[in-house]
Amino acid sequence: MIAGPLLLLTIPLVMAGIVYVLLRWASLSALLAVGTALALGIAVVTLPLDQPVHFWGERQIAMGEAVTFLGRELVLEQADRMAMAFLFLTAAGIFFLAWRVTPHSLLSPMGLGLLSLLSGALLIRPLIYAVLLIEIAAALSIFALQAEGQPPTRGGLRYLTFTTMALPGVLVTNWLLERYVLTPDEVGLLNAAAALLAVSFALLLGVVPFHTWVPAVAGDSVPLAGTFVLTISNGAAWFLLLDFLETYPWLNTHPYFGSLFSTAGLAMVVVGGLLAPAQRRLGALMGYSALVDSGGALVALGMHSRLGLTLALLSLLVRPFGLALMATGLSGLRARNGDDDSFDALRGLGWKAPWSTAVLVFGGLSVAGLPVSAGFTWRWSLCRALMPSSPGAALLLLLAGVGAMAGVWRGLSALLVRPRPPEGNRFPRVTPEGWLTAAVAIVAILACVGVGLFPQVLAPLAARLAETYTFLAP
Amino acid sequence: MPTLIDLLARLSFLAAMPAVAGILITAGLLVVSRGWRLNVIALTLQYFFVVLLLTRLIRPEVAAVKGLIGWMICMVFYLTERRASALERSVAAEGAAPSQRWRRWVMSARASFCLLAGILVSVAAYTAVLRIPLPEVPTDVTLACYLLAGLGLLLIGLGEAPMQVGLGLLTFLSGFDLFYVALEPSLAVTGLLGAVSFLIALATAQLRVAQVVAGGEVKTT
Repeated sequence: MIAGPLLLLTIPLVMAGIVYVLLRWASLSALLAVGTALALGIAVVTLPLDQPVHFWGERQIAMGEAVTFLGRELVLEQADRMAMAFLFLTAAGIFFLAWRVTPHSLLSPMGLGLLSLLSGALLIRPLIYAVLLIEIAAALSIFALQAEGQPPTRGGLRYLTFTTMALPGVLVTNWLLERYVLTPDEVGLLNAAAALLAVSFALLLGVVPFHTWVPAVAGDSVPLAGTFVLTISNGAAWFLLLDFLETYPWLNTHPYFGSLFSTAGLAMVVVGGLLAPAQRRLGALMGYSALVDSGGALVALGMHSRLGLTLALLSLLVRPFGLALMATGLSGLRARNGDDDSFDALRGLGWKAPWSTAVLVFGGLSVAGLPVSAGFTWRWSLCRALMPSSPGAALLLLLAGVGAMAGVWRGLSALLVRPRPPEGNRFPRVTPEGWLTAAVAIVAILACVGVGLFPQVLAPLAARLAETYTFLAP
Repeated sequence: MPTLIDLLARLSFLAAMPAVAGILITAGLLVVSRGWRLNVIALTLQYFFVVLLLTRLIRPEVAAVKGLIGWMICMVFYLTERRASALERSVAAEGAAPSQRWRRWVMSARASFCLLAGILVSVAAYTAVLRIPLPEVPTDVTLACYLLAGLGLLLIGLGEAPMQVGLGLLTFLSGFDLFYVALEPSLAVTGLLGAVSFLIALATAQLRVAQVVAGGEVKTT
């Protein structure tokens, strides 16, 4: 009998090696990467946890069986199932888009390796080992974030720095909690643990003032690799936070729980909403828009209710639609403009790269939370839920969405400027996008709009995922 | 021939304040110097002093393994920088030579600032030892932990060059490792922290290569 958790760790790792070897053949390597992530994503939600499944002849897979690895237990629980399906399926989507826009980059092999590590982070018990695996994943993601022939990625370095700085807090927390079990009178240990956890997760999630890695990752890295970090790696950090809240219920009953999350979220919303329209580069605009999105999710968690948790989880499920679309458009535009994504350099490029422009705009709509886009589904519900109790927060959230959209509008204005013919009346040649890229762009846009028009597709999944966490009352 | 463990046992008389002084000097050198040879030597010695202090907290064999990981990291940095500096020299030979006098003056001002900042951080670390003593570790080890963490963070904050940030991260991690082994001496954590350090070194080396390929530029936007 093969234990499921072991397969979830080893298959992506083995496939990462195979995809790396086959990287020269872009379509084949992309097919393998997409297929692996898709198959594992489907398997993790469809295979039963409580009974083994016949796989190949007499061989059986037991998804719910615990495995011991380096003396630590790896176990797939109900809450982690959905979380892991989210990681794998999002990765499949990103690999699919990367097939057209960054076909020979290290994103697919490194992404599969990262999936293995992040799966391990969600499966391993006790939780402190998870943060070590997330740290290893952060170091490995540098190889995917670094664009070939470009200066070193400042965003990657900052991401690694902030993740490393988050490591001590979580590790020491475990020791403090072990001591508290022995000496329950020392309440100060719990307060110290709560403070350390708060700072560590603020670093991991890019909460203001530790947010500088977020726009940097989006601004100067391979855009889809940046999206991988901002959705999948960041998603793993989110699920780790929820696991901590589930494992240690006293964190949830801490008097500052709601206000801490709300304040941190609103700070991100305000900073992102103010700085997004002021950006003069599309990459940085994407980063600040992502900051607003993350802030909104923290505000939702700060509501301290099952509805808030559902909305926070829905935001995680929906975020890849917006960010991946923006990153795809950004990659297409950068590739046709010597890797320069400043508004001045992009003037008029929208006419030569219409599909990249369209994908970028639809992604921007979703990240800003505007109607007819995936992001609208949770942002509007959050505003409605916040309106009776804290109308100021709802207003700030709406204004931040307008700010992000203003940034996208400025970018679109630059892209759609009618280019003046240069001297000699000859425009520089720009590589056409091709019908395959157009088809991929149409599929991505339809998926984003489809989720926006039919929120009943993802919302019940978020509600079911929220039900697996018991730390909040219904 | 003495083994590494025998060697560490013979040098155990250094595993107190002399090792802390060694850490202060080597971490200070990393903050002030931008010469890669001096930095690699300083990092190698820093790992040696950290291993000496570790022998007081964990089994010498485990401390020696941590030291070996550290010295392997130094080897990665040495090989990367050696190749990178050769490439940079060849590029510089093709272009116009910058004014050496002006450059020396700029470096001197930067080094003075870094030295001052390093002294301030060291004083802050000493004050922290008196005010916030770390649990489960002796006072001199606490001072070493604070010095490594503080000077590592200073190194990260003072620049955006990959090597400098990488050296800062590794110095910071050494400081934390020195404290954490006293709390959690398990081999799994030791192995994972070693893997983290080694991967940080590899990622840094990769970015240093990218810097050389792109002509020494670091993105600023």
